[in-house]
Amino acid sequence: MLRKRDKGNSSCFTDTVKKCLGRHHCSDLVSPLSKRGETGRIKICKVTGDRAICSRIAAMGVYPGVEADIICSGKGSRCILKVNGGTVSFDADVSQNILVTNL
Amino acid sequence: MQLKMALAGNPNAGKTTLFNQLTGSRQHVGNYPGITVDHKEGLLHYEDQTIVITDLPGTYSMTAYSAEELVARDYLVYNRPQVVINIVDASNLERNLYLTCQLLELGAPLVVALNMMDVAEARGIEINAAVLARHLQVPVVPIIARSGFGKDALLSAALQVASNNPQWKPLNISYGDDLDSTLVQLIETITSESLMTETYHSRYTAIKYLENDEQIQAKGREISPKTAKLLEQLVDKTAEHTNRTLDVYPEAIIADHRYGYIKSLLRQGVVTRKFDADRLYTSDKIDKVLTNRLVGPVFMLAILFALYQFTFSWSEMPVSWLENAFKWLGNLVEARLPDGVLKSLIISGIIDGVGGVFGFIPLIMFMFFGIAILEDSGYLARVAFMMDRIFRIFGLHGSSVMPFIVSGGIAGGCAVPGVMATRTLRSPKERMATLLTVPFMNCGAKLPVLALLIGTFFGENKAKYMFFFTMLAWIVAMLAAKLLRSTVLRGVPTPFVMELPPYRFPTIRGLFIHTWERTYQYMKKAGTVILGISILLWAMMTYPGLPEEVTASFDQKHQAAMAAAPPEIAAELKNKNGLLSDAAKNLNATITSINNEKAETALRQSIAGKIGTSMEPISRLAGFDWRTDIALVGGFAAKEVIVSTLGTAYSMGQVNTTDSQSLSDHLKADNNWNRVVAVAALVFIMFYSPCFVTLVCIAKEASWKWAGFSMAFNTIIAYLLAVAVFQIGTFFNLG
Repeated sequence: MLRKRDKGNSSCFTDTVKKCLGRHHCSDLVSPLSKRGETGRIKICKVTGDRAICSRIAAMGVYPGVEADIICSGKGSRCILKVNGGTVSFDADVSQNILVTNL
Repeated sequence: MQLKMALAGNPNAGKTTLFNQLTGSRQHVGNYPGITVDHKEGLLHYEDQTIVITDLPGTYSMTAYSAEELVARDYLVYNRPQVVINIVDASNLERNLYLTCQLLELGAPLVVALNMMDVAEARGIEINAAVLARHLQVPVVPIIARSGFGKDALLSAALQVASNNPQWKPLNISYGDDLDSTLVQLIETITSESLMTETYHSRYTAIKYLENDEQIQAKGREISPKTAKLLEQLVDKTAEHTNRTLDVYPEAIIADHRYGYIKSLLRQGVVTRKFDADRLYTSDKIDKVLTNRLVGPVFMLAILFALYQFTFSWSEMPVSWLENAFKWLGNLVEARLPDGVLKSLIISGIIDGVGGVFGFIPLIMFMFFGIAILEDSGYLARVAFMMDRIFRIFGLHGSSVMPFIVSGGIAGGCAVPGVMATRTLRSPKERMATLLTVPFMNCGAKLPVLALLIGTFFGENKAKYMFFFTMLAWIVAMLAAKLLRSTVLRGVPTPFVMELPPYRFPTIRGLFIHTWERTYQYMKKAGTVILGISILLWAMMTYPGLPEEVTASFDQKHQAAMAAAPPEIAAELKNKNGLLSDAAKNLNATITSINNEKAETALRQSIAGKIGTSMEPISRLAGFDWRTDIALVGGFAAKEVIVSTLGTAYSMGQVNTTDSQSLSDHLKADNNWNRVVAVAALVFIMFYSPCFVTLVCIAKEASWKWAGFSMAFNTIIAYLLAVAVFQIGTFFNLG
C-alpha cells in the first residue's frame, strides 16, 4: 500500500504517478501497453479511457503503480498481463489506454 | 426455520463446485468466467438445520460494472442472508481478497472459505488461516471444494456465525485525506436525508458514489433528485481534484487503498512463500505459446480439428450398433404386429422418429467429452481471447465469444444458455447483435442432422466436412453480425477485459459428470419433447388418410396385378417361402410399386403432406421436396425433429419391404437427394429460424419483436444461401 508522506499534501501514490508522468526519470520509457512488442516485467503508470472500464480493471488489480508481467504481447492488438496473481487479457482499445514503463 | 446462506467470490474461485458439493446438485461448472450469470438455490440439511444456499455469480467487485455484480449485490442487500460464504482462491489470495474487502465494507456477516489449498501448496504458498481470521475478524476455513475437504468445518463455522444473529457491520478502510474528507461530507448528507439507509450503510453508499456506481447514482436520483444532485456535485468536485493533482479518478485511488490494505494484512504473517512471488507458473509458460499471436491460432485450429477427428472416428462403431439395434427393433415390430394404425405409430412415429435421434447419442457423447476437456482445462477461455480480435472486425465484443461457444461454436452446445450468457455484455447493441447471431452456431440438436447428411453424402471425410460446416457457421454468424451492426444495431464498440483462469488438469470424475449431464439432457429431450413432437407429426402425416374411392382404386390396381399373374406365381409370392422365382420377383416389384405409390399419395394427402406440398414451389428453388419441407417445418419446434420427421416421412413411404432401411439408406436411394441438395439442406438447417425454446428465450431477454425479427432474419438468410448453393451446385453439375 502506498502510504502518505509526513509533509506536504502529495502522497506517495501521487509521487508514483507523477514520477512516471511528471517527466522525471522514466518519461521517455512510458508507452501504451499495446505498443509493447516483448514480454517481460513492467509497471503501470496511468490508466485512461472509459471510467467504468478503468474501475473494472482496477478491481482486477490493474491500476497505476502496480507491477505486472506481460505474458502475451499483442503489439498493436490484444495482450495478456499477469498482475496481482491473476491473468488478465485486454483488447487493443483497453491496452492502448494503459500506459506502462519498463522495470 | 430455514437458514439463508450465500456463496460469493471471484469468477473461477470454485463457488459452483462448492455449491454442488454442499447441496449434491449438478450445476454446470466451467473453467472460464461468466458461467453463473444468475443466482441458483439449493437445499442442504446439516446438524438438524435446513439451509438454503444461494450460488451467486462470480464477481471481482461489488460495484455495478457488470450484470453479475448487480445480481450478486442486489441479492445480498435485498435478501440479507444470515451468512455469506466468501470463496477465496488460496493460490491467488491477494486478488481474491479484494472482493472480501468489499463484502466487509458492505457489512455482510462473512465466513471466508480458503479454497484450492492444494493448488496453493503446490505453488509453494503457505497460508496461516488463523492469522488471517484474526486480522479480518471473521472465521477463515481452508477447504478443497473439488474433493470436499473442509466442507464440514466450513458449515460448522457458518452455523456458528448464524447462531450469533450477526448484525451487518461495515469495515472502515481509509482512502487517504482527499477521499476521506469527501466521504465524511457525503455520509453526513446521506444520513441526514436518509438516502437508501434502509438498504445500505451511509458509508457504503458514499463509497459507491465516489466509485461512480451507476446503479446507486440512478437510485439516488430516483429517490431524492435534490440530495442526489448535492452528492454528485461533491463527488464531481473531488474527482476533478484527484484528476488534476494525481491524474486519476477516485475509483483508482480506492482500488489502490484496498489492495494496500490487503497487502498489509498478508505481510503480517498470513502468507509465506517458498518460491519467488513473481515467478511465472507453468500455466503462464503454456500461455506464452498457446496464445501467441502467430502460433496460437494454428494450435487452436489444430485442437478443434483433432476434436472432430476424435469424435467421428471413435463414435462410428457405437453409432452403427445403435442404428442396427433400432433396425432390428423395427423389423421385430413389423413381423409381430398386424398391419394398422398402431403398427404405423410404433414403427414410423416412435422407432424411426425417436430412434433417428437416439442413434446419435454416442457421437454426441464423444463430442461433449471433448468439449468438457477443453472447458475444464481452461483452454476455452484462451479461445475466447484469441477470437476477440476477429470479433472486433465484425462489430462484436470479445465477451460475445463465450455465448457463441456455449451455443455450439465447437458444435454440440445449446442456444438457450448462449442467449442467456449474452447478459455479460454491457453494450445493449453488442448484446443484441450477439443474441441474434448465436443461434447460427451448430447446437447439439443440429448435430444429428449434420452427422446424418455428412455421413450419407460425404462419408469418406466426415471430420473434415464437420470442421468445414463449423467454420461456415462462424463465418455466416460473423457476417450477419456485421450486417446488423452496420444497419439496425449501429454503435460504438465497447472495450474487452477478461480474466484467464489458470490451466488445470481436468479430473476424470469431472469430465464424466459434464459429459453425462449434457448427454442426459439430450436423451431426456429425445425421450420427451422429441417423442411428443414425433407422434404429433406422425399423426399429421397419417390423417385424414386417403378417401375411400382412392383407396379402392389402389386396391383394384393391386388385385388386377395379382389376377394378371399366373396363379402359381401369385401363390408363390403370397407364401414367400425361400427364394422367389424371377416371375415372382417381378410381380413383387409391381405390387411394392403400387403400395409405395399408395403410401406416398396418402402422405401427400395428409395435413403435413399438404403443408409440405404447398411449400414445394418455393422450396424447390433450394432443392427441397415436400418431404423435406415437412421436416423443416417440424424443425421450428426443435431441430432434432428434422431427423425424426425425415425418418417418419421416409418410413411411411416404405411399405411391404422385407427389411427396414435406415434413414441414411432412404436418402441415398431417393432421387431428390444428392450432394448439392445435402449441402443446401445443411446450410438451410444450420441458419434458419432458431427453435421455439430459443425464440422464447430471446423474447424474454429482449422482446417478442426481436424474437420475430430473429425468426424472419435467420430464415431469409438461410433460404437465400440454400438457393444459392443449390442453383450454383446444379449449374456446375456438382451433385
